[in-house]
Amino acid sequence: MIRCVAWLPSLLALINLMRPSFFHHLHPPTIPAPQAQWRYTLGAGGIAVFLVLVLIITGALEMFYYTPTPDQAAHSVQTITYHVTMGGVIRNVHYWAAQFLMILMTVHLIRIVFTGAYKPPRRFNYLLGLALFVIVVLINFTGYILRWDQGIQWALVVGTNLLKTIPLMGDYLYEILIGGSQPGSATLIRFYAWHIFGLTLLAVILMGWHIFQVRRDGGIAVPPPSLRTDLQRITRYELVRREVLAMLLTSTVLIVVAGFAPAPIAAPIEEITAFSSDSRAPWFFLWVQQMLKWGDPFLWGVLAPLATLTVLVLIPYIFPHPHESELGRWFPKSNWLARLILTMIAVLVLGLTLLGV
Amino acid sequence: MDTTRRLTALAAGLLLIGSLLVVWAVFQRTNPVALTPSLTGQTEYCLTCHGDLPEISTSHPIKSFGCVICHGGERLALDKNLAHSTLRGGANPSALSVVELSCGGSDCHSGSPQASRDHIQRVMTSIQATYTGAIANILYTFGAQPDLKAHFGAFAVIDNETSTGITSLDAFESSKEDNPSIQTFGKNCLTCHISAAPREGDHFDRLTGCAACHTPDVESFPEGKTHGLTTAIPYTQCNTCHNRGNYDLRSMTFVERADQPTDRLHDYYQPIAQFTRCEWTLDCVDCHTRTEAMGDGDLHSNQSEIQYIQCKTCHGTLNELPQTYTITSEDDLALRLAFLNPVVDLQVGDTILMSETGEPLWNTHVLPDGTYEMTGKVTHQQFTFRPVMGTQCKQNPDEQESKYCHQCHAEER
Repeated sequence: MIRCVAWLPSLLALINLMRPSFFHHLHPPTIPAPQAQWRYTLGAGGIAVFLVLVLIITGALEMFYYTPTPDQAAHSVQTITYHVTMGGVIRNVHYWAAQFLMILMTVHLIRIVFTGAYKPPRRFNYLLGLALFVIVVLINFTGYILRWDQGIQWALVVGTNLLKTIPLMGDYLYEILIGGSQPGSATLIRFYAWHIFGLTLLAVILMGWHIFQVRRDGGIAVPPPSLRTDLQRITRYELVRREVLAMLLTSTVLIVVAGFAPAPIAAPIEEITAFSSDSRAPWFFLWVQQMLKWGDPFLWGVLAPLATLTVLVLIPYIFPHPHESELGRWFPKSNWLARLILTMIAVLVLGLTLLGV
Repeated sequence: MDTTRRLTALAAGLLLIGSLLVVWAVFQRTNPVALTPSLTGQTEYCLTCHGDLPEISTSHPIKSFGCVICHGGERLALDKNLAHSTLRGGANPSALSVVELSCGGSDCHSGSPQASRDHIQRVMTSIQATYTGAIANILYTFGAQPDLKAHFGAFAVIDNETSTGITSLDAFESSKEDNPSIQTFGKNCLTCHISAAPREGDHFDRLTGCAACHTPDVESFPEGKTHGLTTAIPYTQCNTCHNRGNYDLRSMTFVERADQPTDRLHDYYQPIAQFTRCEWTLDCVDCHTRTEAMGDGDLHSNQSEIQYIQCKTCHGTLNELPQTYTITSEDDLALRLAFLNPVVDLQVGDTILMSETGEPLWNTHVLPDGTYEMTGKVTHQQFTFRPVMGTQCKQNPDEQESKYCHQCHAEER
């Protein structure tokens, strides 16, 4: 049996070889061997794509039982969790895949900056990646809100109130996103639509573009052939094998974590404005919540995160690029400033998150 | 290349083992036990864990009520913490802070007085809940209020349809009082009203709210297994507050009774009390009525305003027979009360005793020979007794209160 399983990747590659398809626009036929190593890519981008597929499938399954109305939402989540066959496991896989995706996206971003792979002509794709990052954070937040239980109540009220602090258009933004003077059924149906349709569609399109753009930019970032010492490449068969290995390992971790670490759940919201015992933001916003304690909500809750994002956006534009010969490996000397800036941001966000835990 | 293949095979094996492990773990879980009570029509799964609990009372059959309608909680959750996270009043939904949600409703216990369904309104204004008598007496004694009228209760309460002139009570807060004795009183002496947790000790063990009286013998239940409501309340339950000792007004402390009685005669009343034989052989609820215990819906300043049953209620006086009435309707309160605790086979057409205010003494019967029969609501014992009229009783006709009966009929102990 093990032999059969081991053959599977070759079989998949064979099918691809027989029938050229759109998939070939995205999946490279071959990549340089040194850059195909785990220790170079960390497999983060590829695993992130796999997690997105897992999220789409498990999310679609959840949609069979989820009801996006304030009086039913939390109960339908309880039904999924406790009464649908394997529903709890599927929900847990969806939850953990989403959290792992956040981590892997971050790892992927760090890899890109720490190997200098954002150097032109890959600047635009770097921006696509950042846009994907932001969209996935929003998808994660809207999904978190869909629970509509007392665990998300505080984050919903405080998080959406941040919108109101934006000068001039704050109230208008709040109105179109929340659909009323306080979160209610209009909010839930909006968040549901954004989560399963609007943001997801955008993410899938951008993801396809992001992957396609890697090929348009000449594949994974490497020095020009004349500057390379190792010109060896791996075949698409080997690449697919490695991808399948990554998927299997990811699936194993996901299923075991999902089996034994349940996703958060709480009692339904009774009164949206009532005091909630759980007054913590979702973990990926804890750093913002921590900053909110410093004072002005517009400054710390809106401007500071936007400033952080702006710095990330500017990395390929204002800091020195690595030299061509330094591409395709970690820690190119000439972009130390970009790495330092990203390290500082990472330490700051991580530190604030740990303070907020 | 071979390394990748071997690793892939290994990873596939791991995934298989992991998946089997998770599937195994999922099927290890207890099968949910569903119940769809007819009153709510909403399926609940509490019995998955609580199938061993006895039905709370015959008046609240689980097939009709289920659990959630009274207890709250998350009906779908199979995780203990989540399922219990929204329980009303923790394990006791009858706690006065949540009783309206748990036991209330016009078809249940906060309906109209005409339908005798105003239990909650009456209890919330009753002396046993407000503790007005003790508070007013202490405040008056230490000069903190000019009269003996109730101004403060254990909690704030409003009575819009008062016939006693007291329309509202403020919450008594001893910390706001200057007098140290009143402060000590607040600290030591507010454990008897039914919204307060009792003093420590088996003798005082009871729940709060409705269950303070209607869920007897709490101390005899194993941890967390108390599940019962009854109107057959034994004297021992009343004794978790009453007859347990006295307040020392100088030190404002509670002094527990010192004796350690082993039989009913000695256990029933504390040593200083004067009583007759029928008092300690019966249970408190055999004579004292629902209005006396749960209030009449009005705010009162003192227990004496609400406690009115005397010996003469059942025995009459030399000049008067006790009041009686004949049950004419299927919906008669007497029949409804007898239904809750069927110790007597009461029928339409039966003649029973009636209190001075018209409350049915439903566990009594007027016998054809003009004597009376009473059945113990808790003991099920039957007693026959005679009216005073026509006996050798030498009592002065103007002195017909129980304390004068005690002068001759007191029990030696």
